[in-house]
Amino acid sequence: MRITLPIILVAATVGLMGIGLTRFGRAHVGGTISVEEDSSFAALTPKPTTPELALTNLMTAVQRRDWDQAYAALSESSDIDKQAFIEDWKGSNGSLRAYSVLEGYEPHPLHITDDNAEIRVHIRFASPVGPIEDVRDIHFVREGDTWKAVWPKVHIATVPAQVVPVTYLKWDLVTGSSADLWGQKNVDSPHVRITSMTAVNTAEGAVVMGEVVNEDTIPAFVNVNATLLDAAGNSIDEETSFDKIDHVLLPKQVTPYRVDFPNVDLKRVKSVRMDEHATLVPASADPVIGVMNQKVESDVQGKAVLEGDLMNESGDIVNIPHVIASFYDSNGKVIWVSDGYVDRALLPQSSEPFAVEIPRSVASRVQNFHVVVNHYNMEGS
Amino acid sequence: MAPTKPWQEKSSKPYTLKQNPNFRYQMGTTTTVNTAQSYSRPVPLLVIILAAVAVHGPLLLMQLPTGSYDANFHMFFASHYAHHWFDPWNEKWFAGFSQTTYPPLVHQWIALFSEVIGLKLAYMLVQMIAIVLLVVGVFRFARIWVDDRAASYAALVSIFLGSLAFLAYQAGQLATITSAALYLNALPYFYEWITESGGRSLVKGVAIGLAAAAAHHVTLIFGVFFFAVPVLWTACLDAHDERVSGSLFGVLSRSAVFAFVVGVGVAIVLLPYWLTMIQHPISQMPIPHDSRSNFLFSLPIAANNFLIPYGALILALPFIVLRGAASRRLIPLLLGFWMAVIFGLGGTTPLPRWLLGRAYEVLTYERFAFWATLLAMPLLGVLLVRLLDRFQTKGAVAIATCAVATLGAALWWLNGNPTRPTGASDVQPVISFLNRDGHDAYRYITLGFGSELSEVSTYTSANSVDGDYNSARLLPEMTHYGSAQLTDAKFYGSAGMASLRAMLAHANRYGLKYIFVHDPFYEPLLTFVGWRKIESFDGGAITAWSKEDVPPAHKIQSDAVPPAWEGLMWGILPMVVSFLAIFLELLLPEHRRSLLPVGISLAPQSEQHFAA
Repeated sequence: MRITLPIILVAATVGLMGIGLTRFGRAHVGGTISVEEDSSFAALTPKPTTPELALTNLMTAVQRRDWDQAYAALSESSDIDKQAFIEDWKGSNGSLRAYSVLEGYEPHPLHITDDNAEIRVHIRFASPVGPIEDVRDIHFVREGDTWKAVWPKVHIATVPAQVVPVTYLKWDLVTGSSADLWGQKNVDSPHVRITSMTAVNTAEGAVVMGEVVNEDTIPAFVNVNATLLDAAGNSIDEETSFDKIDHVLLPKQVTPYRVDFPNVDLKRVKSVRMDEHATLVPASADPVIGVMNQKVESDVQGKAVLEGDLMNESGDIVNIPHVIASFYDSNGKVIWVSDGYVDRALLPQSSEPFAVEIPRSVASRVQNFHVVVNHYNMEGS
Repeated sequence: MAPTKPWQEKSSKPYTLKQNPNFRYQMGTTTTVNTAQSYSRPVPLLVIILAAVAVHGPLLLMQLPTGSYDANFHMFFASHYAHHWFDPWNEKWFAGFSQTTYPPLVHQWIALFSEVIGLKLAYMLVQMIAIVLLVVGVFRFARIWVDDRAASYAALVSIFLGSLAFLAYQAGQLATITSAALYLNALPYFYEWITESGGRSLVKGVAIGLAAAAAHHVTLIFGVFFFAVPVLWTACLDAHDERVSGSLFGVLSRSAVFAFVVGVGVAIVLLPYWLTMIQHPISQMPIPHDSRSNFLFSLPIAANNFLIPYGALILALPFIVLRGAASRRLIPLLLGFWMAVIFGLGGTTPLPRWLLGRAYEVLTYERFAFWATLLAMPLLGVLLVRLLDRFQTKGAVAIATCAVATLGAALWWLNGNPTRPTGASDVQPVISFLNRDGHDAYRYITLGFGSELSEVSTYTSANSVDGDYNSARLLPEMTHYGSAQLTDAKFYGSAGMASLRAMLAHANRYGLKYIFVHDPFYEPLLTFVGWRKIESFDGGAITAWSKEDVPPAHKIQSDAVPPAWEGLMWGILPMVVSFLAIFLELLLPEHRRSLLPVGISLAPQSEQHFAA
């Protein structure tokens, strides 16, 4: 026992740690998301003898933000320098990607030969505005007895310094007391009106959507609340438009809105009570973001999407653009409202592509669409 | 100190005081001895206690634990008891929750002391008492296996344990430390009762055991397996080998009696807790925790959960395993230690997950490393005796260096840990904002505040929908997504942000009007979902955000509100058992056992083989 027991304990410990490294022994729930760079225990990384292993090593290194190891997983034939590669993952200029952390990925091999492989990777980022999905087709080549990724050249916009005249309207609030909180100014609320409302059933629950217009001559901060009522007039559920609305409306501006009621069947609903709440706020027409080249297409996964380009016509960086699109049928009725965030910043006088998804059941009925662009700008950017 | 029992692991050089059958704890006795003599006798318990106060007292007076993860949480709970001793329903978190979801003893003691010295100093005082109880407990626990000299060394070095510093100053797990300390003090009585059937031991062991349960429930449950089972196993071996007066049947039957009495006592003392758990079992989505990770994949996590807690004890692991295996009597202790080490490795091995099932996802595993180090103390004491006997002053210097380095590393890690979330710098303006102009008519949340959320909650009259205690949450926005506090939502990835989005979407429902942001990460979300920045504090480090159309908060109906009789029980029984334990210790001094008939001494045969 004097020698046997220590041997048993050490062997059991090592064995259990070994099992812990396998898929069989791996915990389902690990730690929190690290936002720090961590290159520890890189030596445990297996040799990339298959394209799948090469992908795993690459994505694991990116997840840990171990950029040295991630860049080392690229083939020398890659047409990208290290800084551009890092920026491709980390983002820049306060964009949504710069706030995001790679959370997971799902590989789907497209084809694999002895020396080449193509793997489609569904990448999921955690971001402040929710999960962001990305799809990339990554090419792998065999170099000796290992596989490496061929990373395509990344176009990083660089905008030379220029002077852009600001001629847009701007509304400021002049208040009597600095102690007044926002939204508690001693003035009448702007007049806003819900111009359309449609309720539909979806697989996820009931959806109420439509459009709101600011009919006043001053800017308004708008929230739309909806309450579903049953036949007895009792409230079934109450939700808000949340981020599926452009909250700041300039005079005469129209925004789509959508209110989701998860797990509520519209058959139970007798009526919907709408409540739009508007407050006077300071606002500016700047930055002007143009929407160009809009068209309904199918993406690589076969889903119907509304694609286009956002053009920043101002002299400031727009850090996070948010696209909200309303879709109309042949009668001009709003049949769906979609939104999507653009994970690259809009540089001055530059454009970035966008795409918002259209449900399959709606796509065939879409006759027209209207896009508004909301945005977030970092202070000082 | 009490005479060494013949079966206890002895020093290789017997000390002279041992031969005095009337020798008691040498509290403050001063004797002129030469260096060799001073290394060959036990350290008086009073000296050990004073050393504990000397080492940890200044750190606690500096209020070092206030920056820990959980210290503010404990003070928040204590603050509620200070104001509403018999009403455990607390409206300040989660739109209302019951404090019967967490055993109250340490919080109630802090609340009591806070009436005199204030909340923070009261916390520090209770923490100091817990540390003193811990080193005394280590001494008494170690004496079950080793002689007084080794036990005293074990107690002395336990002051410098990295795991203790980690829990006290980084994790802020006051309840875990207190409960473990009480548990270690109860177990010798358990051993005495089952081997010698002394009625005093039964009464005192039960009282201290109940106090331990009233301090922390998880320690009680797992303490049975990691601490009590090795003690019981050892007692069985002693009975079998006739080293104690009791028979094997007597040991087992008295164990059953002890377990029954403690079981009934715990059921009564913590009845409101059990009722709450039965009514609302913890069924929320698993929340990620670093201690559940595989340490092999992250150096910071490995350092945080293994290197720092164990410190220089890692160097002693070979001796602990070899020495523990060399003596039949030490094997239960060794196996308890090994199991605690494996559990302390969290997700590095699959064993905890296999054994605990669903509970694996609920627990955190840093406490197991703490228990492992406590279980290692008796064997470490034997090693220290060997080192001092062989190397005298050089050995003492080496031991002291290792001890100080271990504690120092743990204290350095408070700032060196790269994954430690940083809290808000100064939350006083936030507290002032909430307490003025009727702002407390609405609920609020903080984002990026870390454990400072609890500090804000403690000192403001406003209520929050967030909170820093996962097991008390009942709101679906928080339990359905697999994330912990909203204030740290980003660290839980998409799950955390989904939980935060769900809460923001229902802001009107909860009267959630104000959000305080100490991390610009959250600002895009707030902007897009309809909040507007209204004020800045602390030079812009903290910003206040508001949503216009939120109605004032109203009381959220809950079936978790404990009835008044539970509040009375909760306010009375835990304090009663702790007072009972104190009075029994004072009124019934420790029974001085005479030397029992000589049994089989296990020490000599093995000492020759595994000398350090």
